[in-house]
Amino acid sequence: MSRESRMRATINQRLTEKGERERLKELLRVKLTECGWKDQMKAHCKEVIKDKGLEHITVEDLVVEITPKGRALVPDSVKKELLQRIRAFLAQHAT
Amino acid sequence: MKMEDMPLSGPDNTKLEALVHDIYSELVEDACLGLCFEVHRAVKQGYFFLDETDQESMKEFEIVDQPGVDIFGQVYNQWKNKECECPNCKRLIAASRFAPHLEKCLGMGRNSSRIANRRLASNNNMSKSESDQEDNDDLNDNDWSYGAEKKAKKRKSDKNQNSPRRSKSLKHKNGELGSSISSESYKYNYNTGISYETLGPDEVRSLLTTQCGVISEHTKKMCNRPSLTDADAVVENDSFDIPDGQMLMSRLQWEDSPDISPTDSASSKASTNHSESRKPKKKKRTSLGLNSGGSGSSVGGGGGGLTGGSSSSSSSQSNISLSTKKKRPKLSAPSITSIYDDLN
Repeated sequence: MSRESRMRATINQRLTEKGERERLKELLRVKLTECGWKDQMKAHCKEVIKDKGLEHITVEDLVVEITPKGRALVPDSVKKELLQRIRAFLAQHAT
Repeated sequence: MKMEDMPLSGPDNTKLEALVHDIYSELVEDACLGLCFEVHRAVKQGYFFLDETDQESMKEFEIVDQPGVDIFGQVYNQWKNKECECPNCKRLIAASRFAPHLEKCLGMGRNSSRIANRRLASNNNMSKSESDQEDNDDLNDNDWSYGAEKKAKKRKSDKNQNSPRRSKSLKHKNGELGSSISSESYKYNYNTGISYETLGPDEVRSLLTTQCGVISEHTKKMCNRPSLTDADAVVENDSFDIPDGQMLMSRLQWEDSPDISPTDSASSKASTNHSESRKPKKKKRTSLGLNSGGSGSSVGGGGGGLTGGSSSSSSSQSNISLSTKKKRPKLSAPSITSIYDDLN
């Protein structure tokens, strides 16, 4: 297990060092905006805000409401592409 | 890249795959958090709900998704079949043809003046040549009839006004002086028939003393350059003798009358130009430019400028200055008589 966690740490480190993490983040953001995921989520936010009230809304409230739905709403194509890129990176840089 | 290609073994693969998914989840959560922060800030700053208005406006500007119509609900070719009433001629014109029609109708486009001039020219000449043949039966007897010649020439010139060949050949002709005068003379007369024949002798004289008066064969417009007689007579003429000039004038005017009476002015014009072509070439011709018109061809005679009834008196004035420039006033008298020999 420790070997695994060590491996994970190494890989994460490498991901950040090579700048791949930032690239992947940007790619994901662009893809989600393109496919309309962001607008969907914003509409959901509006509902949540209207429920909770404009004045008393907090970040935590939003996070709690939004994240599960957000995770579920990601289109399959975007998910597949991202997974592929991560795997490619690992294959390239994993010893 | 597929899992089978990876060099790692089975259990590692699943772990690796788990790792990949974990990384992926992390990235997605990051995106969601980013969105939450953005929205929260927008709410607290007060610009989150700005794009919403009252229900009525929302309905009005809703995106339209019907066939044949754009997202605003407008039809694309709505104006295709509509007709507009022209303010000038009060006709109903199709919308797509409206602008070109207005251009021609109001006479303001680039081509409209050209077309109008051409039409005027053809109308004038058609009516002129028809009246010629009606009035003068003698013409029909002659082998060479001016009216028929004019008509034939007219057809030829109407063939292709804008072909590059035509303009090339004409320009070439205009450049050459003596040899081409005989062929050109008919064309010249055909052109001067537009304006010079309609004006009286006095009008033509006044016109030609102030302006050049040469009518271009291409554009059928009269050259407005200030006349050489007026300008040059003051500056350049050393040998301009008034008595000589008056003598010339009187001689030329005497020659005027037999010109007018026997045949119509058009035919005499042609014949004089025809005979003038036999005269030796003189350099002065180039200065005046040899486009067309009475004064142009009259120079070639070297003072014997008899181009027929209406324009002869005016051309005589220009001839005076030119002939004195050449310092050959005496030549005009024998040349005039020689012309009449040819005529008779």
